Amino acid sequence: MIEKIKEKFLKSYFALILAVLTAYAILKFNKFMDIYEIFILIGSTITFSWMAKVWPNFRDLFTSILLFSFISIFLYQGSLEQIELNFVLKYFLASQSAIMWMTALYPLSLTIYWIHLFTKQDFYGNLATRITWIATMIGFVGLLVRWYESYLIGIDVGHIPVSNLYEVFVLFCLITSLLYLHYEEKLKEKKLGAFVLIIITAAVGFILWYTFEKGADQIQPLVPALQSYWMKIHVPANFIGYGAFSIAAMISVAYLLKEKNILVKYLPELNILDEMTYKSISIGFIFFTIATILGAIWAAEAWGGYWSWDPKETWALIVWLNYAAWLHLRLIKGLRGSLLAWWSLAGLAVTTFAFLGVNLFLSGLHSYGEL
Amino acid sequence: MRFAITMFSLLGIASIIGTVLKQNEPYNDYIIKFGQFWFNIFEKLGLYNVYQAFWFLLILIFLIISTSLCISRNSPKILKDYKSFQDRIREKSLLAFKHSYQFKFEKFSTKKIISFLNLNNYKVKHKVIDGGDLIIAKKGDLQKLGYIFTHLSIVIISIGGLLDGNLVFKIQELTGVKQIQLEDQPLSEIPKSGKMSENNLSYRASILLSEGDTKTAAILRAKEGYLVQEIPFSITLKDFKIEHYSTGQPKSFKSNLLVTDKETGKSINKTISVNKPLTYKGVTIYQAAFEDGGSKLDLLVWNLNSSQPAVQMNSEIFKNNELTFERQKLTFEFNDFRNFNILDVIQNDEQKLKLKPTNVGPNFLYKVRNESGQAKEYQTFQLPIIVDDKYFFMSGMRNSPQEEFKYLKIPADHNLSIEGFMILKSLLNDPTKVKYAIDNGIKQSAFKNIEQKKAFELGTRNVINAFIKGGYDFVIRDMDLNIPQEASIIDKEKAIKTYINIIFLISQELINTYKENNKEKIIFPENDSPRFIQDALTAYSDSFFYGIPLYLELKDFKHVQASGLQLTKSPGKPWVYLGSILLVLGIFCMIYIQEIRLWIFKKKGSKNLIVSLATNRDRLDFDKEALKVRDQIKRITN
Ligand code: HEM
Repeated sequence: MIEKIKEKFLKSYFALILAVLTAYAILKFNKFMDIYEIFILIGSTITFSWMAKVWPNFRDLFTSILLFSFISIFLYQGSLEQIELNFVLKYFLASQSAIMWMTALYPLSLTIYWIHLFTKQDFYGNLATRITWIATMIGFVGLLVRWYESYLIGIDVGHIPVSNLYEVFVLFCLITSLLYLHYEEKLKEKKLGAFVLIIITAAVGFILWYTFEKGADQIQPLVPALQSYWMKIHVPANFIGYGAFSIAAMISVAYLLKEKNILVKYLPELNILDEMTYKSISIGFIFFTIATILGAIWAAEAWGGYWSWDPKETWALIVWLNYAAWLHLRLIKGLRGSLLAWWSLAGLAVTTFAFLGVNLFLSGLHSYGEL
Repeated sequence: MRFAITMFSLLGIASIIGTVLKQNEPYNDYIIKFGQFWFNIFEKLGLYNVYQAFWFLLILIFLIISTSLCISRNSPKILKDYKSFQDRIREKSLLAFKHSYQFKFEKFSTKKIISFLNLNNYKVKHKVIDGGDLIIAKKGDLQKLGYIFTHLSIVIISIGGLLDGNLVFKIQELTGVKQIQLEDQPLSEIPKSGKMSENNLSYRASILLSEGDTKTAAILRAKEGYLVQEIPFSITLKDFKIEHYSTGQPKSFKSNLLVTDKETGKSINKTISVNKPLTYKGVTIYQAAFEDGGSKLDLLVWNLNSSQPAVQMNSEIFKNNELTFERQKLTFEFNDFRNFNILDVIQNDEQKLKLKPTNVGPNFLYKVRNESGQAKEYQTFQLPIIVDDKYFFMSGMRNSPQEEFKYLKIPADHNLSIEGFMILKSLLNDPTKVKYAIDNGIKQSAFKNIEQKKAFELGTRNVINAFIKGGYDFVIRDMDLNIPQEASIIDKEKAIKTYINIIFLISQELINTYKENNKEKIIFPENDSPRFIQDALTAYSDSFFYGIPLYLELKDFKHVQASGLQLTKSPGKPWVYLGSILLVLGIFCMIYIQEIRLWIFKKKGSKNLIVSLATNRDRLDFDKEALKVRDQIKRITN
């Protein structure tokens, strides 16, 4: 009954609620935003409303994220001290706690996906999916609250949490799982969670190491080069690309296993795997292209040239060429099968180097996320 | 196509080399790294600036040519396909399609079918063949144009890139019209071959401007040297500002510029910052870097091991001063001044001692070079810094840039000034005052006989003298010489303690006398004096490891900053952006639009309908799509 009312209510009013919140934000905070940021906000509102319309589960996710973020912000009462004093904040809704929950839930859902793979019981499949949704929700709450926290540190320190390696790794987990959940629902195929969640869990491992070894979870103010509205679009677009390429690689692993007669009984058909790999790479390719172009436009504003052959830029080009070649082979030569699967797996190595290796081994203009 | 792929692969490999081998470093670094032999080979290959190498530009040109050829070869067919409806198809070939269906129909209305197809975004054509009806429909044919969009975009982007590259200069360099300048020389003496004219198609040049300075030309870095880039205006830096966050990290760099047109004499005044450049006459001016612009320093030179008063020295960053010390000519080279320094300093934060990043004030960096050319490097802070609850003046010394600075810690006196220490080191180096203090000390103690007193006096004098000449090290060395070999370690330690105590007491005596003679000045108050004396004596002793016992005290400064600007002219930018839009559109068309062709054929007099669908790309979705369309047509015709 309540479900039904909620469903009906959100279906009709989600976009409206979002629009009202957006209008409120613009009226109240316009002195902190430039005109581009207002456009980005409106653009995001439209995008999310559209996504909510075509994908009801996303709408529910979004609603929960907003709800919990607002509760959290309310509990802060404008002071960081509340993190220690307030029970709910301390254990659930402060940004660090929320992200810690996320890091706990993804490995859990990985485990359950594997149980589902072997037992073929829907119960486990549904459970794993649900946990992945919750992990994604709480992770997004963590990021949003972190955004708020950064403003509590200092009005001039406040910024969107996509500015260093710790923050973008969290973003990577969230975007990758969201993309995966979308495919899972569309193709009604839960078996691949067992593979996709591997890469997410690996990223979680990195986040934990980075937090406890290096204390990288501290919020740092932005260096001048990063103070631009471009960051709000360039970075997320890039991570949709990275996320999609990683999913493609993990599905390729499943493909190769199946082809080698391993786990055959448990894995989906080869042509489904092949199709999913293709879909992921093409989604990734288009976002990665857009992100690279946006990066170039930003570079023209911040560094004095749209292309400086900075190592990060150059490696983005290499990643791009790599997947362009992949798409050529598949679309024009009509190639299928294990070569492309291996290629997409190798693509992950190239992508990882562009993402992490460049920060580790090469120095350049992009050295914001040093290890 | 093969050729293009080869070019792309070469482009990829070259790019990787460019990221792995650090670009545009000083050539000396490469020689050290690779040795002369490989250095020469790599230089010939242009590996130190891959992206400007001739062959790299050549790859781009080949890419443009081959992709253009590719487009011109494929486009006519694609455009024809795009327009055509493929209406010459025969029944037999229709039946041969993978997705071909036959079924009986009840009522056949071309109008109804056409309006259904239009509703589903198909373009439709109706034709009568041999008295039968052929309906031809298609959708998603933009996919075909996607090919033209993407490939054209690559050509456009590459051309834009080439426009902004330095191909013109490369040719001028090869033909000897332009020459890279290697020596520093004034603008007026640079030959024409070393200057690029205002009309240079594109460039990325730089200007370093001190506050108050005006420049009329920019510098183009090229390999190991530079060229002068003439610009259509002059730039004056009125003011440069760095703002900091409360935590100390830099928050913004801002240059207030006055740009004056050389032709009209008109000026505009604008403040630029990172991410907020200024474009004037097609040249965009960016905030790129900053450094010291020749800050003025008022210094006092203290000799730490003498009683002489300090000498004044006035200098500037990037200037050298000379000073004769112990018959050696020393050159002081002032290299940098920083007004704002963030260090993690222990602070009392809400009753808890915490390491907190704090601005500890200005410091300056200089080298002292002796006649034989050897140099030691110093870094001195102007203000005292808190260490263990006490303030110290910190000055670091190192023998080479690879070393860490070793700091001399001079305790601040009651007024947080360095004066107290300087008074004490002067007193220590004044023999009459030291003698007086020793005599005074002896007077106060009781001795059994003259002998003992004499011995004590001699001992004390020796210890003090050793300390003055070489710090605690000398005291210990002397002790090792004087104390019998067989003395136990405990005895030695006892002796050291006694000596340290003697030095302390004599210093206290010196200070007490000083206090009596200078009653109006409070520099050494009663209560914290012992700890101050101990720290001061340690500093005095450490000063023998300070390289040259000259301490530069920064009395006053005038901070002059310099702003590094980048000037960019890039006519290719609009082309690159246009190409980018086309690229995104093209990729979108190719990947997300599926081309579908559909034929519906009713033979004259037949009760059978043939429905055939085809796509140029087989996808899983298409099977479902085909069945759906078939069923819908079945429904309409039933
Ligand atoms: C990095 C740049 C490139 C990208 C991103 C790219 C992208 C694509 C894509 C996605 C397709 C599939 C189109 C389809 O099957 O309808 C395609 C087709 C094709 N590409 Fe490229 N391409 C690039 C460079 C080139 C170059 C340089 C050449 C030739 C010298 C080339 C030749 C072709 C040909 C012949 C086709 C088949 C066109 C057709 O029949 O549809 N491509 N390209």
